[in-house]
Amino acid sequence: MEFLLENILNLIGFLVGLAIGIMSIIGFRNTGSPTLFRLTIAFFSISLGFFVIWAGYMAEDFVIKSGNIEKGIQTLGIGIQTVGYFFIAFSHSIKSFFPKSRYFRSVGIFPLFLVSSAQIEHIFRSVSFILLAYGAIETMLSYFENRNKGAISVAIGLALLAFGEFLGWYSFVFPESILYSVSMTIKIGGLIALFIPVSKIPLTKIKFDEGLE
Amino acid sequence: MAEYRTHMKIIGDILATTRDDLRDEDGATVTYLIRKANISHSRISRILKTLVSQGLLEQVDSQGSNKYRISTSGREFLQAYYTFTNFANNFGLSI
Repeated sequence: MEFLLENILNLIGFLVGLAIGIMSIIGFRNTGSPTLFRLTIAFFSISLGFFVIWAGYMAEDFVIKSGNIEKGIQTLGIGIQTVGYFFIAFSHSIKSFFPKSRYFRSVGIFPLFLVSSAQIEHIFRSVSFILLAYGAIETMLSYFENRNKGAISVAIGLALLAFGEFLGWYSFVFPESILYSVSMTIKIGGLIALFIPVSKIPLTKIKFDEGLE
Repeated sequence: MAEYRTHMKIIGDILATTRDDLRDEDGATVTYLIRKANISHSRISRILKTLVSQGLLEQVDSQGSNKYRISTSGREFLQAYYTFTNFANNFGLSI
């Protein structure tokens, strides 16, 4: 069990993301709200991303045993998580995420075919950082409007996830250091901060209603 | 400045009006709902038709006029609506 800490942290990330995703899908099935649908996609993606990385570490520990996780698996997991962060930011009505100029669109897409998976991982991490920072700021602004205390916890959670992504991206400067584990721990702290207000939502009388759309 | 209401919020307001504001078991008239929900007649007519077809409101024929009252499913929906409004508010979002 060379990657015990990474295994545990990714598993926690998978479970917390899954729990929030399930809450969101119950909400979507009961109300048909598009916002809850976007949150469902967001948290299932985040959960799946952690699961892919966890599966990669498990395969490395028990099957491959080369001493290093396959970079492609890690990049895939982080890419899937980035999709989740995009949907959180998208729920806050991102209006100018994609550049309108055809030139900038081509510049934005073509480098992905020219760089290695390790560099793609850094691109995903930096995009995730921007999306999460945006989500944290928007959530904090909504707190100032509505004074909903749960929004503070979610804003802190998104900010911690952003900081974790930043440290994860920075860890490529010191590849074998503790920085990656610190980044993972901060990200899990962020997910738990997201889960705290969600866990207080009473679901006892909520049930799936197949007739609602 | 007037607050922007989502379609979901308007539905929540209509159901809450039929549940909380009425002591009359016969239900609410369209005029009463228009005043309370603050939307046009054509729009509320479409929404009421949908809510009745979904079983969230019951249409009652009372003394020649159509009235609407909340059904059991409607009460359950309203409870879910409030619960998940709170859930979404935690993310700084509205449903």
